[in-house]
Amino acid sequence: MESRVVNKGQISELLDKLAKDYNLIAPIKEETMTLFRRVSGAQDVLLDYNNSDISPKGCFLPQNEKTFSYMYTGDTLEINKPVGTQKTVLFGARPCDIKAILTFDPVFDGVKFGDEYYSSKRESTVIIGLSCAKVLSTCFCYAMGGGPCDTTGSDLLLTEIGDKYYVEVITEKGQALVDAYSQIIAKQDTAQLAKDKDELAKKLSGEFVRKVDLTGVKELMDNNFELPYWAGDDQKKCIGCGTCTYVCPTCHCFDIFDYTTGDFTGDRLRCWDSCMFPEYTLEAGGHNPRPSRKERIRNRFMHKIKYHLDRYNMVGCVGCGRCVNKCPVNIDITKIINDLKEVAQNA
Amino acid sequence: MMNLAQQLREQAKKLLEEKKVDLVIGFGQGTELARNTPVFIDSPEGVSALTWGPFCANNLAKYLVDYKNDPGSTAVVVKGCDARSVNRLLDDNQILREKVVVIGLPCPGQLEWQKVSAEIKPGSTLKEVVDNGDSYTVKTDSGDYTFNKKDYLLHRCLVCENPNPVISDITIGKEIPVKNYEERFAEVQDLEKLAADEKNEYWNKQFARCLRCYACRNVCSVCTCKVCAFDQMQPMWVSKRTNLSENTAFHITRAFHVAGRCVDCGECDRVCPMDIPLRKLNVKIHKDLGELFNSPTPGTEPGLISPLGGFSPGDPEEFM
Amino acid sequence: MFKRLLEYVGFEPGRFKARWLSGSEGAKFTTTVKEMTEKIKSLGPNKKMRDDII
Repeated sequence: MESRVVNKGQISELLDKLAKDYNLIAPIKEETMTLFRRVSGAQDVLLDYNNSDISPKGCFLPQNEKTFSYMYTGDTLEINKPVGTQKTVLFGARPCDIKAILTFDPVFDGVKFGDEYYSSKRESTVIIGLSCAKVLSTCFCYAMGGGPCDTTGSDLLLTEIGDKYYVEVITEKGQALVDAYSQIIAKQDTAQLAKDKDELAKKLSGEFVRKVDLTGVKELMDNNFELPYWAGDDQKKCIGCGTCTYVCPTCHCFDIFDYTTGDFTGDRLRCWDSCMFPEYTLEAGGHNPRPSRKERIRNRFMHKIKYHLDRYNMVGCVGCGRCVNKCPVNIDITKIINDLKEVAQNA
Repeated sequence: MMNLAQQLREQAKKLLEEKKVDLVIGFGQGTELARNTPVFIDSPEGVSALTWGPFCANNLAKYLVDYKNDPGSTAVVVKGCDARSVNRLLDDNQILREKVVVIGLPCPGQLEWQKVSAEIKPGSTLKEVVDNGDSYTVKTDSGDYTFNKKDYLLHRCLVCENPNPVISDITIGKEIPVKNYEERFAEVQDLEKLAADEKNEYWNKQFARCLRCYACRNVCSVCTCKVCAFDQMQPMWVSKRTNLSENTAFHITRAFHVAGRCVDCGECDRVCPMDIPLRKLNVKIHKDLGELFNSPTPGTEPGLISPLGGFSPGDPEEFM
Repeated sequence: MFKRLLEYVGFEPGRFKARWLSGSEGAKFTTTVKEMTEKIKSLGPNKKMRDDII
């Protein structure tokens, strides 16, 4: 597919146009936080940032989603589903977060089951990715099959090079968008820019400081569910909050409940839930198959490194490093992986 | 500070060797240069994992509750603020005094690890930290970095009331004089001055960001209810929905549930992944408690009756 | 205490009031309710923590 160029000086113009024609979601700065929010124009968009504090997964799986509202009309129960999805542009997501969205596809838009709330958003959203300019000490996307300039999953990928943005068109959706804004996303000779991008990717790949080695880890977990490792320090220090799951771009667990506002009237809501909460697996009869933090910690990390691979042939972690950054007690998936590798070697 | 860490390891080793305790809960080096992680040492050889310095912001006292029913005793490493938690846990009957050994370290202030990390070359290894009084010098293999306390300490340290642990069985380190960089209630007073709709706007903005991850509640050393109101589904006081109304309900309710017992350790503020300034909420309550009941910060001494848990004839009665 | 907390997060002063009333203080009950009703009417509809705003 082709590649194009946007001059840095024109990026505001592009964003303003996109904000007018689409529901534009881009990174913004709110006090100390970097978040993905709907923006009304280029003035709100933050272009110079590392990564957002929470991932843009909310574009496809919002934290609170009304699946329908219900009303008792006297003799029938009327159900009203929300209609229509706005055409949306998700701008400025990093390659790791975009790769994470791909891990949602087999879950919510899979072979056997489809989730219309997810699919409609997925279809009507164009993803314009932004290559990383910097590698943080918490980043480790390389270990999970990704990279700071990876195009996987983007419709368009922008890379900042000098005073231009190098635009790679990856999908038909992306092509349609660049065609619609050809004035700004201009056709130009991009051979040098392509070379520059490769240089940048090489340079960034040398900047990772976290050494993560998955060798032997999956095999170890495939054969040892009752590993003594899980009874160690991690489950002792874990405080059981939902921080890691909520900031994680691949976590997608949810709870469904009805919020009644009157006589048989109310909304059915689907909201994020966390497997780290004790009540997550609490059954109606009172039994809890994951009664302590040991089982819950084991479940979380096995899901990321094994279960997602088993089910969908995709690794469940993209190496964004947010959990490492935000965990109040410094539970670190990279340390766990490296520890497990040692356990596997010593076995 | 390395010298203190060494003393700490020796004391911990002794406790474990002499079987005075079965477990030592302390600070260990984290996976980032400027972080610590809680460590649980159950053998004398394991004490080498213990560390001490200005990257030890965590409050470890609450972990004692996990070991309350174990047969043996547990030692915990505490700073000044954490020690107030120990007193409060004792008064709440969450831990038993005879099963706890408190290793207290006077604390010259804890650094905000994210701010410090941003200045240090990624991948550096920590060699030493030197306390210069008004600043810290962090020595690494990529160079020395100096951080002045006023700009890099956690805000709660700028208004610290007890740098020296208020309860301690084994104290390591010299007593540290109180040094405040700001008046304790300055932040709260600034907010109080705003008009009602300005306050509304401010707090709405903060609460709207809340993810309801409950990190603040879970890390709080006085939030020890076995079944928390916010986890109940029947009745569902709050749902999993994170709209402004429910988020506000959660924060106000929790602040009030801990009122009179909150020791102002500041952990809730530190752990929030969305940078919600929770201390501004809890410290407001501390201010009011001081004004209405003339009570000191809870946990300052063992055996203090919580102002909202006791009654004295002189209590203000604005509701009569 | 709670009143101060509510006002701190943005409820208008006077929106919340706590009053100790026993069953035999009928007159006090009446005046309290009347005062509160007047006050709330003058403040207008409450804008905080509304369920209809998602």
